Amino acid sequence: MSTSFERLIDGIIDALQIHVVPNSNDDFVRGQVYSAIYALNGLKLAADWKAGPLLEQVRLQDDTFAAVERLADGMAHPEIPAMPRVPSDMSDAAAIEALRDDGDRRLGRLLLWASGADARAVNRDLATGIEQLLRRATCDQLKIELATTPKSMLQQIAGGERDGGTAPG
Amino acid sequence: MQDVAKRSDDVSAVPEPVRPVTVNDDAVRAALAQHLSRISGSRTEITSFGRKSSGFSWITYAFVARSSEGDRKLILRVGPPNGLFAPYSVLPQVYALQSLAGSGVPVPALVSSERDGAEIGFPFFICTHVEGDVPAPWTASELDPDHKRAIARQFVEILASLHRIDAGTTPFASPQQGGQRAEVRAIAGWRASLARPTARYYPLLDWGGRWLEDNCPQPPCRTIVHGDYRIGNFIERSGWIVAILDWELTHLGDPHEDLAWAMMPTFNARSRKLYGVLERTEVIDLYQRTSGIAVSDKSLAFYEAYALYQAAAIQMCAVRAFEVDRFNDMRLAVMASQMPSIVRAFERALEAAA
Repeated sequence: MSTSFERLIDGIIDALQIHVVPNSNDDFVRGQVYSAIYALNGLKLAADWKAGPLLEQVRLQDDTFAAVERLADGMAHPEIPAMPRVPSDMSDAAAIEALRDDGDRRLGRLLLWASGADARAVNRDLATGIEQLLRRATCDQLKIELATTPKSMLQQIAGGERDGGTAPG
Repeated sequence: MQDVAKRSDDVSAVPEPVRPVTVNDDAVRAALAQHLSRISGSRTEITSFGRKSSGFSWITYAFVARSSEGDRKLILRVGPPNGLFAPYSVLPQVYALQSLAGSGVPVPALVSSERDGAEIGFPFFICTHVEGDVPAPWTASELDPDHKRAIARQFVEILASLHRIDAGTTPFASPQQGGQRAEVRAIAGWRASLARPTARYYPLLDWGGRWLEDNCPQPPCRTIVHGDYRIGNFIERSGWIVAILDWELTHLGDPHEDLAWAMMPTFNARSRKLYGVLERTEVIDLYQRTSGIAVSDKSLAFYEAYALYQAAAIQMCAVRAFEVDRFNDMRLAVMASQMPSIVRAFERALEAAA
């Protein structure tokens, strides 16, 4: 299981136990909270991030590595991994997430290289083109994450307000 | 009237305090009574003590200090060991409240401060309580537009007053480090924060941070920068702004930084207008007229990108506090979900600034 997924579940359980249960004087409400904690413990044993969006991100990264390798032909650049990085039978979300994170670090090194003085000294136009490609690709990767991001509840979260209205009291 | 601020942070002869891991309200209250009794020289009792807000950073308590001289409503702010920007220093806030007392920038009066937390266990300061309301950006739509316009104009005029102060005469001018420009040092600070081990690495933030550091414009003048100047960080009463709050990120720098931060749609109920009512050009005109500082489009664009970079760094502090430091506040955990949209907006802002 992914560390961040497990940490999220632990955090929810702790928040319910530390902040919600002691402040609830209603037996029914406490029963609801304990049921939710039980269900969360079950999820911790059986669930994980959805592999689909993570796989999509890793594949997009692979496409980007391939494009950079093609464009940068002959230029000395940070290492590009062998592809494809995900075996066809891989479904472990934690392993795919680790590959995605490793891919991000590699893309970061390439972006810093392409926008740096050394690459520009060799071939300014080509380096600029690679920089643009990498920026576009990393933005596209963020779009995949945005598709799985719920609508913001900032005002309720920051102010504890109900339905965006003023908090009672 | 302003209280005489008493600095009690000269603790060179005092042994290193043993710090509790979490902030216990009862222990804070008892220690606070001791502290106020000591500095006032008369027994002080604490009444009506309670947490005032559930912020992400400094913990704020409101209380009444009761002594033979009568009751005083005061505010205590404590820097917790596991807060968003821990470890905390009281100095920016103390310097700000001291420097701005009696200036055109309304601030609560400083009563006492302690940077090492010898008595309470954490860095803290005490200031006077200012009566009034703190408007939240998202409730702005419920207010009368004329009222909002008046407040927004005052908000800009006070910022201009802040930036007109000769920073060289304030304590902010003294802590120069290594000859690096103050505004570049601030960017470097956020870069260092983002470089700490966290669950996620974002290529665009790494690259963009370097770009910001390499392309930071020369400021038109170096002023006191509030660092978090936005709707929601002031107290208003009867149509007047009576106190500017939250000086923890205050530093010397480029005045464009505050202007760009204040105009971020995030702090204006997603509107491009300040407080949802004042057009951008109106803000800039008013600011230029009252501050005497010419606003550069290029510098403003740079600091709009920097504002998003800073917002991303703050979100990552939250994620780190939850995931690495295991600070159990679910609000910190959900801040991670905002990262993709902030990083994309940052990339677009950099494109505009380049």
